[in-house]
Amino acid sequence: MPAAVAINETFPSPAAHPATVARVVGVAKTYGSGEAAVAALADASLEIRAGEVTLIEGPSGSGKTTLISILGLLLTPTAGEVWLEGRNVAGLGERELPGLRARNFGFVFQGFNLFPALSALENVAIAIRMKNPRARGADAEARRLLDHVGLGSRAHHLPADLSGGQKQRVAIARALGGNPPILIGDEPTAALDTKTALSVMELLRELASTERRAVVVVTHDPRLERFADRVVRVEDGRIEAITHTGTRPTGAASATSPRSST
Amino acid sequence: MWNLARKLLLHDRLRFAVAIAGVSVSVMLVLVQVGLYYGFMDTASSLIDASTADLWVGKQGNESFEFATPFDERALYKVASIPGVARAERVLMSFVQAKLPDGGDLGVQVVGIETVPGQRARLAPWNVVAGDPQRLAEPGAIVVDRTEYAKLKIDRVGHVTEIAGARAEVVALTSGIRSFTTSPIVFTDLRTARSYLPQFGDEAVTYVLVKLAPRADRHAVQARIEALPHLAAYTTPQMSARTRTYWSERTGVGAGFFTTAVLGVIVGFVVVGQILYSGTLQYLREYGTLKAMGAKNSAVVRVILSQAMISAALGFAVGAPLAIGMRAAMKGANLSVALTPELYAVTAGITLVMCAFAALLSIVKVLRLDPASVFKG
Repeated sequence: MPAAVAINETFPSPAAHPATVARVVGVAKTYGSGEAAVAALADASLEIRAGEVTLIEGPSGSGKTTLISILGLLLTPTAGEVWLEGRNVAGLGERELPGLRARNFGFVFQGFNLFPALSALENVAIAIRMKNPRARGADAEARRLLDHVGLGSRAHHLPADLSGGQKQRVAIARALGGNPPILIGDEPTAALDTKTALSVMELLRELASTERRAVVVVTHDPRLERFADRVVRVEDGRIEAITHTGTRPTGAASATSPRSST
Repeated sequence: MWNLARKLLLHDRLRFAVAIAGVSVSVMLVLVQVGLYYGFMDTASSLIDASTADLWVGKQGNESFEFATPFDERALYKVASIPGVARAERVLMSFVQAKLPDGGDLGVQVVGIETVPGQRARLAPWNVVAGDPQRLAEPGAIVVDRTEYAKLKIDRVGHVTEIAGARAEVVALTSGIRSFTTSPIVFTDLRTARSYLPQFGDEAVTYVLVKLAPRADRHAVQARIEALPHLAAYTTPQMSARTRTYWSERTGVGAGFFTTAVLGVIVGFVVVGQILYSGTLQYLREYGTLKAMGAKNSAVVRVILSQAMISAALGFAVGAPLAIGMRAAMKGANLSVALTPELYAVTAGITLVMCAFAALLSIVKVLRLDPASVFKG
């Protein structure tokens, strides 16, 4: 039986958990002011750890996207702290944030967001170059990442020639460009069929387990809980529960190989 | 970035073709309109530019080269006596009616020059393609341009007509000497010109052309000539510039051509701007994704600017030959389009700047793009 833990885990110090790669402490986000103010998120605290898959669930408008946007340094919180690389980065300006995002985060989206004019290889390579304009061997690194996600044979295909699952694998390869410790997926399986969705989650699970990346996935799909180490329940802008599932699917238990090309 | 920019542009080939068409039409309009302007100006000052005079002396207050006020030729002797003047020649120019083969009349611009056997006058017909211009010294001899055939109906040496009721025989034909006015230029000897222009009398001239002695101080000679009553002296380049300025500013010709050229730039700006903006909107989520992943604004802006520069380069590459084609077509209508390397260089620069500014709206859009918006949005 998975053990439920208290809401908003407390963190006595930045070094409380050796695997912590990022954390948000008491973050809140309010849009508007006065009577028109809307609290999208209130007093949320969460630790993100290497090697773990953290699922964030909740109904539409609950604040899930706001939470991962703040965590991913895409949104500045109205209150609270965001700890990354051993410091609070919540108040940093737009000059420093791109570099922090490039070093620490990879993003995967529901709609894939691949450039339709670029091949799979070029989509991955452009992200590597954008993160680090001085990067050498971007094409070779892109090919390696595509091989890693099982799409080496599709490197020169345009997104229009790929299935949904393949497109999402390309997006994952792109997210891995620059070797970020944290992957954030915003409903990465919502546009996929069940079998493909599970295959993509298998891949994300493997990235967490074997490469010690921290994977954070926002989803509406409770079937994905079996891939998670923790499930964070968000409702009405608050973290209502954090459940440690204690389950880690093994390679033998997985339905499909993570390197399948769906 | 160039590869990404190129592929984004080429992905929608129809839209790309429209962008290139817009830029190329803009380039062609600028080149042709400015080329036409400079062609007209070249024509306006062609008689002056073709002369070998060091100085042009005319009546003070003359505004227009073609409509110069005549003055007494005794000024010739005063000018010729100034130290530093090696030679002074008289020129009489004015407009008069010529008889056409069908019996009708046509206004022509008579240019009467001093012909001396064995010497070439400071102002003499050039680009001679038929006949002997040395025969201009004969009474009634004229030289006309064969490209004015549509008006004069003269295309052979020996053609005989009447100018102001007096006999005129074509002794030579030139090619490419055209007047800026609608009246064809007719070269003749000074004495013959005076017979065509009896209203000026036997001692009138409109210009005295000066050839300076070797190592003469041009400024000093010019000053001494201008010290003479009612005379003004200009170097050939100064005279050329004056007549160009007159036609350009006093008649509004310059404003007309440049207005059309500016409109061409506006057309290109609007077309490219709209194409780039629609393309940016189409890829907004992708640009947002790149920003979310840590791409700096400068990198994303470079992609858009690269698209603008590619459009500029390709549009210029298409538009420039189009302008050459237009020039060839206009030549058939006796219109001169002066396409110089300098004009091409300036137009290329204008095209680049035009496309860069056209990209501004797209650049602002991506700069303001909130990377958080890529989450579902």
